[in-house]
Amino acid sequence: MIKLENLDFDEALRYMGCKSREAADSRTLSMMEECEKLVIENSVPRYRYKFFEIEKTDDTGIQLKDSTLILKGNDIRQHLKDCFGIILMCATLSGKIDALIRKTQLEDMTRAVIVNALASVAIEQLCDKAEVEIYENLDKCYKTWRYSPGYGDFPIELQKDILTVLDAPRKIGLCTGCSMTLTPIKSVTAVTGLSHKPVSPRKRGCLSCNLRNTCQYRKVGNHCVQ
Amino acid sequence: MFSELLKSKKFIILDGAMGTQLQARGLKTGECPEALNVTHPDTVREIHRSYIEAGSDIVYTNTFGANSYKLSESGYSVSELVRAGVRTAKEAAGESGVLAALDIGPIGQLMEPTGSMSFDEAYDIYKEVILAGEEADLIVFETMTDLLELKAGVLAAKENSTKPVICTMTFEENTRTFTGCSVSAMALTMQGLGVDAIGVNCSLGPIQLREVVKELARWTTLPLIVKPNAGLPDPSTGEYDLTPNNFAKSMADDIIPLGAVIVGGCCGTTPDYIRMLCKELDGKNPALREVTSHSAVCSSSRTVIIDQPRIIGERINPTGKKLFKEALRNNNLDYILSQGIEQVHAGAEILDVNVGLPEIDEEKMMVRSVKGLQGVVDVPLQIDSTIPQVLESALRVYSGKPIVNSVNGEEKSLETVLPLVKKYGAAVVGLTLDKNGIPKTAQGRFEIAEKIVKNANALGIKNKDIYIDCLTLTASAEQEGVMETLNALERVKKELGVKTVLGVSNISFGLPNRELVTSTFLTMALQKGLDLPIINPNVAAMTGAVRAYKLLANIDRNSAEFIKAYNNTDVQKQTASVRNDITLGYAIENGLKKEGAEITEKLLESMSPMDIINQQLIPALDKAGADFEKGKIFLPQLIQSATVSQACFEVIKKKLTGANGSSVSKGKIVLATVKGDVHDIGKNIVKVLLENYGYTVIDLGKDVEYEEVLNAAVENNVKLVGLSALMTTTLKSMEETIALLRKHYECKVMVGGAVLTPEYAEKIGADYYSKDAKESVDIAKKVFG
Repeated sequence: MIKLENLDFDEALRYMGCKSREAADSRTLSMMEECEKLVIENSVPRYRYKFFEIEKTDDTGIQLKDSTLILKGNDIRQHLKDCFGIILMCATLSGKIDALIRKTQLEDMTRAVIVNALASVAIEQLCDKAEVEIYENLDKCYKTWRYSPGYGDFPIELQKDILTVLDAPRKIGLCTGCSMTLTPIKSVTAVTGLSHKPVSPRKRGCLSCNLRNTCQYRKVGNHCVQ
Repeated sequence: MFSELLKSKKFIILDGAMGTQLQARGLKTGECPEALNVTHPDTVREIHRSYIEAGSDIVYTNTFGANSYKLSESGYSVSELVRAGVRTAKEAAGESGVLAALDIGPIGQLMEPTGSMSFDEAYDIYKEVILAGEEADLIVFETMTDLLELKAGVLAAKENSTKPVICTMTFEENTRTFTGCSVSAMALTMQGLGVDAIGVNCSLGPIQLREVVKELARWTTLPLIVKPNAGLPDPSTGEYDLTPNNFAKSMADDIIPLGAVIVGGCCGTTPDYIRMLCKELDGKNPALREVTSHSAVCSSSRTVIIDQPRIIGERINPTGKKLFKEALRNNNLDYILSQGIEQVHAGAEILDVNVGLPEIDEEKMMVRSVKGLQGVVDVPLQIDSTIPQVLESALRVYSGKPIVNSVNGEEKSLETVLPLVKKYGAAVVGLTLDKNGIPKTAQGRFEIAEKIVKNANALGIKNKDIYIDCLTLTASAEQEGVMETLNALERVKKELGVKTVLGVSNISFGLPNRELVTSTFLTMALQKGLDLPIINPNVAAMTGAVRAYKLLANIDRNSAEFIKAYNNTDVQKQTASVRNDITLGYAIENGLKKEGAEITEKLLESMSPMDIINQQLIPALDKAGADFEKGKIFLPQLIQSATVSQACFEVIKKKLTGANGSSVSKGKIVLATVKGDVHDIGKNIVKVLLENYGYTVIDLGKDVEYEEVLNAAVENNVKLVGLSALMTTTLKSMEETIALLRKHYECKVMVGGAVLTPEYAEKIGADYYSKDAKESVDIAKKVFG
């Protein structure tokens, strides 16, 4: 099982609207140390993945071999250009984190906000570490960054199908409801493209983000991804 | 039938995997496996037959995911696929005597509070499956991970079918399910609900499941089911590591000696595995099991064994508490939940929950409280009400084995309460009083206790689940009665062989130095054999008396618990001293909660509450708000300031409710995270800020129905409603909620949430778009003036 460690405080601070560690107050920073422990203790990191060959791309979307899943939208098509296959993955910190966030909100809202931000950092770290493990088992190839339902015009409604294909409810307890919210709350589903030739180092950009109009980072000239 | 199979066979052999077999016959990933019951019944029948030929006594129908949620986009109805599934299995069984079990898996959504599926929704979904599968010989729930979801299923089965019900849950190697359910909690809860066999399936191979099965065997007297995977899968290929032969050997060596009698295979197993299993078990005998019969109650994640004094926290009860009553009237669930958390921190091991107030809907509030509490504390609950309907509604949604408080010696009480206790598998508090009141003597109370025990036993409620309360009278009024209570307690425990429970706080009513009297009485009761003291655990002397008793009675071995509880006390005292030289503004700016409260206390001696609020609290908060807007401070600091001010408000509120009951509220605001959305931290931040500006917030929580928002707005006659949504998919719910409000009620609506824009807010008919928590306060100021 993947172990979480050294959660990225700078990232968590940015989630909370603070530009840098220097701009943060000492009280918050010391609470972060304590909350980091709590987040790690209460996370049960789990993930699932599956490799699919891309069968064909047509008007309906990208069809995967031996699967009923179809990836729809122009943005995912662009993202998977020149790719021969994909890794479909999902990951979760488990429901214990939801309980921790619920409980902390009743005890001390400041800590709850910090726990929430650190848990968001933790799920990204879990995905990064999972990717490392996944690619250890693959023949050498190039990969794109993780693309999730809800980015650009990649429909969020795909969430349920992705989880079904990965047998996620049964194997790691990751589900979705009618609104396509992932539950437990700190969870991710993502598609990574695999290619035999180097893929352009496109970064996750603001233009593919649905939050770009109200984003707090963008307002002050920042990005959420370096 | 199933019971005959159990009697006639040494081992009952189940089948192996269905999914693996369907995939081998061309089922694509993501395709609906249950559709094959209609499109390719021959294929499904052939798989059943291959298991029957291999030796299965029971086959599971191909209906694992055939529920209305999973099938919503399949184009098939539940009834169609379930009926076809059962028919196919029965056809395969023919005249062989093999039974067809209606196979039911998890619905595929998480239950509240992590997910949004309610108990009632789960119940209805399962009921539909069970009615459609009426032709099956028995009902099996498998691969379950949420105890409450399983409970909904089992109740749906018991209330809509007469067939036997068996169930298995999926545990990890850490002996917990994904949702944190423990083995003992499953055993206590399911045995209580009256299922016919319980066990485990999926997740791991036989050897890794050893500890889980061993633990389960200790906690239940029911027949044990074990249906493991074919070992562990290779992460990249998905292939399982046990051959049919190794699987069968491991089952015989690792699992059968633990007492399992109903066995089969899950993921990765095939007819060959079942064939080898039959061969391996041929001629073997089931192992004898030693079951310890504990007196115990549980939540889904924590089991409390009543083998020593266990503290029941009494604070969730409005009797004599003005703030608690006010919280109930305002539907302020957070207040109740905080009381729960505080008591658990102080040492409570079980929480009594009483939310009875004549002017509120007790049933609704009780259900909300039970659901809320089980989402934030892990201790078992004691459901406390005088109304059977309230008890039953709470018993349904409780995840675990609770205590019912209470039944008494009156016929009517015995007839209405005990059947509920039996049906839901709870423990029960029996009060030694009847229509003539509380008997004066120990003998009189003993006789009522005896009557309660007799009636409970007649319904099948065992002594270990009966907790008799011999009732504490007030020493100042009935001094001679004190020893009668204690003597009755001693006799009940010794002669009736049940557990004892006692609320002790009443003893000192009307006397000076109450704490001393109460804690001394508590110690006396413990010495007489009290198992479950009901106390205020926040009073150090009370919790301390229990801890010290356990130490002195050699229950707390090596004084471990005692030392853990008190070793750091001195350190706390040192840090508790407060500086005298700071102002309220300074405390708020620097997040000094305790100091803020103390300064407020002092200021109240010389200033009026409204002056403190308007001249000190609000300006300090305004400054924090302005600094936040300028980027001088950021969210955690803003909230810290708000939290300090909240503590100051609490002090002022207490003073006011203590004096004349007048309120400092600047107005009521309804807040809700809209239907379908479970992300509510943003809304909760807004709530903290609004409350600290003196507004009363009616917090409806998350995933709130449109009508509920409207009703709350109307009932409370609010001027402002705040709605939050985080997902693009739930903006629709926000729009619908606003539309409903507009149709029936006049008020201002503010909206907020990550994906909202000012333009979109306007489009869906909101009056205000709030970009952050600070702005929601500005909006409230505008609305309320």
